[in-house]
Parts: sequence; C-alpha cells; structure tokens
Amino acid sequence: MTEWHAVARLRDLQARKRTAVTVEDTTIALFWINGKVYALADTCIHEQRQLSKGAILFGKVICPGHQWKFDPETGEAEGQDRCTTTYPVHVDDDGTVSVSLEREAAAR
Amino acid sequence: MSAGAFVLVGGGQVAAVAARTLRRRGYDGRIVVVGEEPHRPYQRPPLSKEYLSAGDDSGLVLLPEQWTEDNDVEVRTGTRALKVSAADGAVLVDDGSSIAADAVLLGTGARARRLPGVDGEGVFHLRFRDEADALRDALVPGARVVMVGGGFIGGEVASSAVDRGAHVTLLEAGPVPLAMAIGPRLGAACARLQQDAGVDVRVDTAVQTVTRTGGRLVVATTRGDVEADVVVVGVGAVPNTELAVDSGLDVDGGVLVDERCRTSQDRVFAAGDVAHHVHPGLGRRVRVEHFDNASRQAAVAARSMLGEDVVYDEPHWFWSDQFGHNLQHVGHAHADDRMVVRGDLAEGAWTAFFLAGDRVTAAFAVDAGEDIAVARELITTGVAVPDAVLADREADLFEALEGLA
Repeated sequence: MTEWHAVARLRDLQARKRTAVTVEDTTIALFWINGKVYALADTCIHEQRQLSKGAILFGKVICPGHQWKFDPETGEAEGQDRCTTTYPVHVDDDGTVSVSLEREAAAR
Repeated sequence: MSAGAFVLVGGGQVAAVAARTLRRRGYDGRIVVVGEEPHRPYQRPPLSKEYLSAGDDSGLVLLPEQWTEDNDVEVRTGTRALKVSAADGAVLVDDGSSIAADAVLLGTGARARRLPGVDGEGVFHLRFRDEADALRDALVPGARVVMVGGGFIGGEVASSAVDRGAHVTLLEAGPVPLAMAIGPRLGAACARLQQDAGVDVRVDTAVQTVTRTGGRLVVATTRGDVEADVVVVGVGAVPNTELAVDSGLDVDGGVLVDERCRTSQDRVFAAGDVAHHVHPGLGRRVRVEHFDNASRQAAVAARSMLGEDVVYDEPHWFWSDQFGHNLQHVGHAHADDRMVVRGDLAEGAWTAFFLAGDRVTAAFAVDAGEDIAVARELITTGVAVPDAVLADREADLFEALEGLA
C-alpha cells in the first residue's frame, strides 16, 4: 500500500513552477512541466546543488550548479551514465499534491 | 562496424568520454587508452576544488575498472605515446612497442605554464592528482600562501587554501583579476568575493623570482617582496603538442582540427585542451581549456571516428566553484559587446549578458546557473529577448525563451 504525503497545493506549484518540499528528512523537488507534476530528489546527484533552484527548459530540468540536464520522467541525466531518483506523484481533485517515498524504479 | 582498433592517447577526460561514446554507439573493436600518468583516467576539475580542500576523491575516477572490464577497454597507465606512424597509423609508445590502430584520438591536454625563476621547493603547480595531494599537505592552518595568478584556477586554489585555514595573498599581474576572461567590471565583482573571504588581492603585481632562505620563501614582485610558506603558480597552460608535431600533423597554437575534430592527417583526431578547433558558431579557430569542451569535443571526435557526420558547434561553457559561490560562463563575448546586468553586481546572485545588437553572445553568472541555461539557448538560437526582460530579475527568462522560440 503506497503511503502518500500531502506536500503542496497545485495552484502554488503552477505559479512557481518549482519548489522544494521535505518528507521524512528527504528533500524532494517538485516541478510543473507541460501540465504535469514531477517529483525528483532535490539534491543533484552530481554536486549536491538543489534541482529546485534550477531551470526548466524545453521539458527538462537543468541543475543550476553545473548544467546537468535531467529528464523529469525518468530521472536520466543527459550525456551522463547516472540517474536521479524520481518519486510517484498524486494530485487530488481538490488540488492537493502528494508524493510517495517509494521510488518509481522499485514500483515498476 | 567491423572490429578494428582505436587508440585514445592522453588518458584524461577526452579518452574517457570517447571510450564511453564509442561503446555506447556500438563500436565493438579494440579500444586502448594510453596515459602517461600512473593513475587511471580521472577528472581534473575537483583538483583545485573539493579534492584539494578535503581530499574528496568520490567523483574523481572516470573509467572504473568494472566498467572497462565489462566494456573490454584496455587502459595503459604510465605509458607515453611518442608518435603516430605515418606509414600505418600505429601508435608508438615509450616501451618500444607499437599499438596497431585504425584511428587515433589525441587528447594529450595541456600542462601548467611555468614562470622562469619561480620554482624549487615550496613552489607548486596544479595539473595532476599527485600535485594536488602534495599541495594539500602543504596547505596547513596558518600557512602563508602566495597564489600567483588571479584567474579562475587562482581563485579556486585560494578558496581551498582558505578552507584549510591558510592565509592567502593573491598576486595578479593585470589591473583586475579575471579581466581577460570577463572584463574589468565583472572581474572586480569577483575579486570582491575573494576579498570578502579574507584573501589579500594585490593587482598590478607581477612576480619576478622566488628565493628560499631559512625555510621561508620570498616572492620578489614588481611591488616589493612578499613572504610565504607556500607559493602556487596558476598562470595558464600550454598545449601538449609534441606528439602531434613528431607525427607530422599541422600544429599552430594547438593541434589544428576542423569542425569534426579531424586533424590534418587521415584517421587522426584531436579533442580537448590540445585541439585548435574551427568552431562553426564562432566562425573562427579557438582552443579552449575547459572540461565541458573536452567532453563535447571527445564525443564528436569519437563519432567522427565511426564515420558519422557530426560537428561540435555548441557554445563553450565553464564553471568555477570558489568561496561558496558558483560562477558560470557560456559563449564568447567580443570586446565591443554591450553588457546587460540582471541583479546587483555588489551583492547576491547576478548575471551579466553580453550582446552584439540584440543577440546574446555570452553570459557570466554568480550563483545564477539557471540563467546560464537560458543564455546557452539564446546564443544557439539567436532569439532576441528585450534588454528590459534580461535585466528584470522578476521576469521569468524560461518563459520568455519558450514563448519566443
């Protein structure tokens, strides 16, 4: 049974496009990209910068530290062999955004 | 592609990226990486940053042994390649043997420039992992460090030295640190970050000699003597072109390569610090000593080796981490470009855009890497964004770009 954590309001995320939330000591970056909410580990796998302070450009998340470019769907870093963690997202009818700490990779 | 053999000379970033690219794209022939250093390929950016300050080697290794084993890539350390045979393209190495090759990639890099009269015990240069280890040992709390050269490496070494508790005096021969790279106004803004961290920044100060008397060093400069326990020299790099010259390749300020990283000789390619590359986006030759340039050129060179039709034409990008700040630059500005500043140069995060007409040519940012991502797109696409939008910190550049593109 997936445990969901309510972390944000959809309206706020739509306005800000990106934000960081914390669930049980895990900081997660939320993004609003092309009409969908994505959740990735906030700490860049490269050099500990915050992805939530990065750029969203043409559907990709770009880390502000060193320009690593992540696919928000898969967590894959373009041109790198590494992948960041993505988290399942659920949006209620009332606009509550929830995430689960169960990694998507494990859920597949 | 039928099995053959590719030899990657240099054993650094270029060889590592090329090896990975070749295997990723299905090349199943022999790959031999030949490197002069005793270490397997590692990346150099951390050597002046976290590896120097804290010895953190977690991200250093580029080709883990498990990967080279799984991907059947031979790595020869401690081996100097001498020449590419004009007769059959084989690579001659310093143990007297030769390695047969269908194509060769030269990623021989560059070496630290030396200043005459500035050497001996207590004087450090920084290019290799072993040099970083030796320098770290010398950067003890209270040590008086003189950093010769106010470039990006100078700033990073100064930052790491301060982190380790040393007192740093930074000597810059020109009137403003970093002026050559980013202009005097932005250079001065970066120098303030260094001064705020306690670095004694001295400009218009050229080093003449270093002498050692009774365990301490005396650095003679055009503005008097400075005492030091440690002297670090960071005054640029010189491309390692000897192998190319000995192999009869065209060399002029680096190994001459075209847009696809091909040298003057068939089946010989070059990439990274050593390559003097025809960049289509700039319409001229440029030799660039950046990690990202080495990575991207290596990928293009590898694909060229496979017969693909690709050019390297992306804007050049580099970063520097120093004094808790993240500095990034993309593109190439001209001396007469105008500058639009987003934010306040005196504090916090800011970005400077350089423009020729309404077209962005370059950008430099402190703690605003997200703007650099946008600038890269603006340089590539030529999309014009009004100055007022560029300058307005509240305006969303991503939206501006996506709306206009």
